[in-house]
Amino acid sequence: MSNEPSASALVPAGQNPDAETAPSTNGKLPSSTVQYSPLTTHHSPRTTSPPLLLFEQVSKWYGTVLALNQVTLELTGGITGLVGANGAGKSTLLRMANGQLKPTMGRVTVRGVDTWDWRARRLVGYCPDVDAFYEDLSGRRFVWVMARLCGYTRAEATRRTESVLERVGMADRADRKLRGYSKGMRQRIKLAQALLHDPELLILDEPLSGIDPIGRQELLELFQKLAAQGKCLLISSHELEALEKLTNHVVIMARGRIAAVGTLQQIRDLLDDHPLSVRIDVTGARDVARQLLAMPEVLAVDVAPKLPGEPTECVVVKARNPKRFFEQFGKLVVEHALDVRRLEPLDESAHAILGYLLGGSGKT
Amino acid sequence: MADGTSSQSETANRQSEMPSEAPSAARAWCVLVVQSFQRHWRVRQMGWVSLALLGVVVFWVALVTQRGGWDLPDQRARRSFGTYRQEAERLRPDSRYDAAAGGPNEKLLRPHEIPNPFNPTEDALRSLVLSVPRAVMNSEKFLHDWGFMTYSRWVVHLVFFGFVLPLFTLSYASGAFGTDRESRSLVWLMTRPIPRSAIYLAKFVGTLPWCLAFGLGGFAAVCLAGGPLGREALARYWPAAAAATVAFASVFHLVGAIFRRPVVVGLIYVFFFEAVVAALPGSLKLLSLTFYARSLMYNEAAAAGYPVDMLPAMAAAVSSATAWWVLAAAAVGINLAGMWLFARSEYRDDV
Repeated sequence: MSNEPSASALVPAGQNPDAETAPSTNGKLPSSTVQYSPLTTHHSPRTTSPPLLLFEQVSKWYGTVLALNQVTLELTGGITGLVGANGAGKSTLLRMANGQLKPTMGRVTVRGVDTWDWRARRLVGYCPDVDAFYEDLSGRRFVWVMARLCGYTRAEATRRTESVLERVGMADRADRKLRGYSKGMRQRIKLAQALLHDPELLILDEPLSGIDPIGRQELLELFQKLAAQGKCLLISSHELEALEKLTNHVVIMARGRIAAVGTLQQIRDLLDDHPLSVRIDVTGARDVARQLLAMPEVLAVDVAPKLPGEPTECVVVKARNPKRFFEQFGKLVVEHALDVRRLEPLDESAHAILGYLLGGSGKT
Repeated sequence: MADGTSSQSETANRQSEMPSEAPSAARAWCVLVVQSFQRHWRVRQMGWVSLALLGVVVFWVALVTQRGGWDLPDQRARRSFGTYRQEAERLRPDSRYDAAAGGPNEKLLRPHEIPNPFNPTEDALRSLVLSVPRAVMNSEKFLHDWGFMTYSRWVVHLVFFGFVLPLFTLSYASGAFGTDRESRSLVWLMTRPIPRSAIYLAKFVGTLPWCLAFGLGGFAAVCLAGGPLGREALARYWPAAAAATVAFASVFHLVGAIFRRPVVVGLIYVFFFEAVVAALPGSLKLLSLTFYARSLMYNEAAAAGYPVDMLPAMAAAVSSATAWWVLAAAAVGINLAGMWLFARSEYRDDV
């Protein structure tokens, strides 16, 4: 993917980018993996200009609730996906990145400027997750007003408005009132206003939420084009699958911490030692469970009782190596002519990666 | 979208190639002032509610004016069946003698009003005393002063300054941020490269013309409905109305920026603080903005020679200079406090 971040695009602060051979997690992985640490040393060659986005040991409390816990993160370019369950702290992190929230502890800077400072907002384009506009305005007028509020003259605001509307594919549809827009059109308008001042960093909070597949594909292509034009995109989503099509570099958040960061492959490699769960709806579940337990890759089998609405019983298998397990299970089905009604590899989805990393709390 | 790939990159290139003017925070601030003003124009619902409230008050004032309700002669006299004019006529010596001789008002005579021709001295003194109302009814100055102070007390002090003006200002000033909060659109302002304190001030400046238009316009409407007395009240009291509007707007703008339910908080402030505290004896009333606005009016009426003792709640009115200073300092101080608070507060649309 041409729009992936450079090798040093996303590394734990204080780490040499070249050493990013394995993703880091919150202490659940072997000691050889990259660990997050405070910014005490500067191994990075990027010493001349401050990093584009930098979180330094950032914590955020909402009353007694800890929303972000000692987050350290550095972002320099490309597209970065931010995933996590509800309440993981994604939106808090994004709002801090564009100066909507202040850290309780630590510091967030954009190119060295504290994000709480209004000057930092000249460097950041923010696309919020809220679907609220000045509904009585047309899309074109809304974007124009936003441009004027950026401090541009009328002529410059008009020029930039037309430019960004064309960029997001809304130039010919922007004269209708915003209240009549589809979800996808509204997302494009949100994106257009974020692009007005040509920011280095684009922060997109759940930009794919509620978008139909065609619109989603179009937005993904648009994000890739923006990245190709040199923008740095930080995109949050519940859905890792959607981000997979866009970028291979993700930050996984859980319980206010950064649970893992790196490429998806790196993160998946971590899962080799973790059991994979597979749900199998099969007749004679108890016999099948006994046969499954005989397999070397199977760690545990749960036989779920037949529920009133369910046609068959099911077993949930925890296997060590997914590839070998499926080979062995295929043979078992053929040899014993098992009546398998449904086979659902629960852990193969991207959500399950989260689940593993989050110790079971990451189900989305 | 796919077919627009080339055109989009061309546009992007064009954008980067074209010389662009540097953005200006001062210009953005001015645009925000205009935008805030226009947002209020678009949010017409508040305007209709305010106009409806004003309409009710104007109708009531016009009705009372039409019936001569502010004039002493046409008002119902205390412990009497008639008006003050009728009562004055009834107490005239010849009317009392006629009634005592079996006239139609015979039953209305009270013991001390019955003529006593057998004691001429006492009867003369009694007639003198009981002729005072008739003399009063013939004094144009007294009647005008009485009418003006009655109008000032009930319409201007009580209804307009105690009720209509605070509600007008509340509905507009609290909506400066309240409307954006309710519609969750405040995020668009908070993500612009404008200092937070400047956003607060711009919102206030953009809202103030509406508050003044409705505050002073409403005051003019209420006064014009009051006939000549109302016109005089308008001429004498409009500076106080303007000062009170600005001070109230500052308070309610701050309330709108701090509280999630600014209207509720504002109503509590109007009815349980301004209305009650301003009327309390003692020094607690010094905390009320209404008290200073009323002091301005009190001093204006006193300077014009009106019987200001008809305003019993204003017996401890401060001087006009003090009232001006306090109202101006309150407006400036509250706005500075609001700018300071807003610059340090976080905007969250998810709570």
